[in-house]
Amino acid sequence: MIAMELKPIKEILQMLEGYEKIVLFGDSGCAQMCDVGGILQLEDMEELLSSHGKIVLGYVFVEGGICDGNAFKLSVANKMHMLEEADAYLVQACGVATQVVTEALPAKEAFPATNTQFLGSMPERFMHYEKCSMCGDCVLHLTGGICPITRCPKGLLNGPCGGAMNGKCEVNPEQDCAWQLIYDRLKALGKLDNIRKIWDLRDWSPTHKPRKIEVTGDSMMS
Amino acid sequence: MLTLTRLQELLERGEFVVTAEVGPPHGSDSRMVITKTDLMKEHCDAINITDNVRGIPTMDSSVCSHLVIQAGAEPVMHISARDRNRIQLESALYGAHALGVRNLLFVTGDHSLLGTHPEAKLVYDFDSIQALQIARHLMSGTDLSGQKLEGIPEFYLGSTFNPYADPIELQIWRVEKKRDSGARFFQTQAIYEISRFEEFMDGVRPLGVHVLAGVIPLKGPKMARFMNRRIPGIAIPEEMISRLERAGSGLTGDARRKAMKDEGVEIALETIEAVRSINGVNGIHIMAVGWEEVVPELVERAGLLPRPR
Ligand code: SF4
Ligand code: SF4
Repeated sequence: MIAMELKPIKEILQMLEGYEKIVLFGDSGCAQMCDVGGILQLEDMEELLSSHGKIVLGYVFVEGGICDGNAFKLSVANKMHMLEEADAYLVQACGVATQVVTEALPAKEAFPATNTQFLGSMPERFMHYEKCSMCGDCVLHLTGGICPITRCPKGLLNGPCGGAMNGKCEVNPEQDCAWQLIYDRLKALGKLDNIRKIWDLRDWSPTHKPRKIEVTGDSMMS
Repeated sequence: MLTLTRLQELLERGEFVVTAEVGPPHGSDSRMVITKTDLMKEHCDAINITDNVRGIPTMDSSVCSHLVIQAGAEPVMHISARDRNRIQLESALYGAHALGVRNLLFVTGDHSLLGTHPEAKLVYDFDSIQALQIARHLMSGTDLSGQKLEGIPEFYLGSTFNPYADPIELQIWRVEKKRDSGARFFQTQAIYEISRFEEFMDGVRPLGVHVLAGVIPLKGPKMARFMNRRIPGIAIPEEMISRLERAGSGLTGDARRKAMKDEGVEIALETIEAVRSINGVNGIHIMAVGWEEVVPELVERAGLLPRPR
């Protein structure tokens, strides 16, 4: 999921300066899982904004994700009156969500309540760990299911670097060296040959922004 | 076979080679490079110019390498993969060759989080192995897009290895990968504990590459502890640190500092002696950044003078 954190409240109040009537946006997807835009956090935000003299007119809470155009449309359909009355929107979800709201409801400004961080796992609540940098050309089948591009701070493809000692990373001694993990796993799988050969210079063009995917009916699984 | 540089010639001729490092200035003072080069050019066969170590900005390594040539010595220009993409690397290599630089040494580069500019955006378009491949590719006459070059650069390529890095098997494979990408000579991370280096060399020897063992003379226990903590890949044994401490015990001020430095020089001399007897070690590389004055003394007392002509 997309991992994100709420911005400092001071920064949120600064963005909302001069706007009185606010509508809050959240969803039951990443935003709720990251404890920034679930119903509970929308309630907390309402309380907080009220204590600073704002009027929260209500919420738009999308089941699924705000990023899902259809789900979003359904969620706002019966709230147009409230949305028109608002001075601004505060989006307690990722940067995609704030842009979806901006595009769908351009009459008012939508502000980001979060800092969107990375694509990660959540082994338990409140714990998020980056696992994938969306490189556009996945190599996990060759690296024993461990991503070198993301979990090695240098993104090395012919790792490990000379700073790898005792299984730990040179950048942070608390952190495992991703290449040690890859080595151990491939060794256990009997597939060390995968990293014995040189990995050639990589084509990074699949990471060039902005990216898009437009699947047509017949290109799927064909 | 025709050799491109003196360093290459000496290594291929079987001489025991001495190189030493000059840290480029944190600013625009070109005289610093020349003064430091002058200080040690009679005591070593080539002078290494580092490339923004730990992401701390210093004068461009190709410019400094050029200054080394002007001062009458042969440079080994370091290139760190960290801060460059392939467009910039190709461009830098054309320029380096035009300035007369022929020895190149590729490193991945310590992460810049460890330096003074942790806010910088990281590049890491390639690693040191892929950087070697790019250099070798240019030497074949075209750029990465296949376009013919207006002037084909030629280089003697090198890289580094750290015998203390893990896992050892994979680290030795990386030396092999570097060799297969064109590296002919290797410099090691600073050697202190000998047995692990010997074990590593058992894996490197069959690869048929030239190895210069890294030597960093220690000024005292504080420096040793700092290096263990802050410099990636350094492993100074605790006994060695207490030896430095003992050398200074009972003394104060300058006398204490001098006694500890002298002990550091002793340790470095013992290390040089030990690595010289390891089969497959073809020279030493002294990294005394900030303490360049010690280089002539070390080389002389190690019995490595005069340098071959
Ligand atoms: S290789 Fe890593 S960054 Fe690329 S898609 Fe796979 S997990 Fe993501
Ligand atoms: S120690 Fe390992 S994980 Fe850390 S930068 Fe080096 S190779 Fe990458």
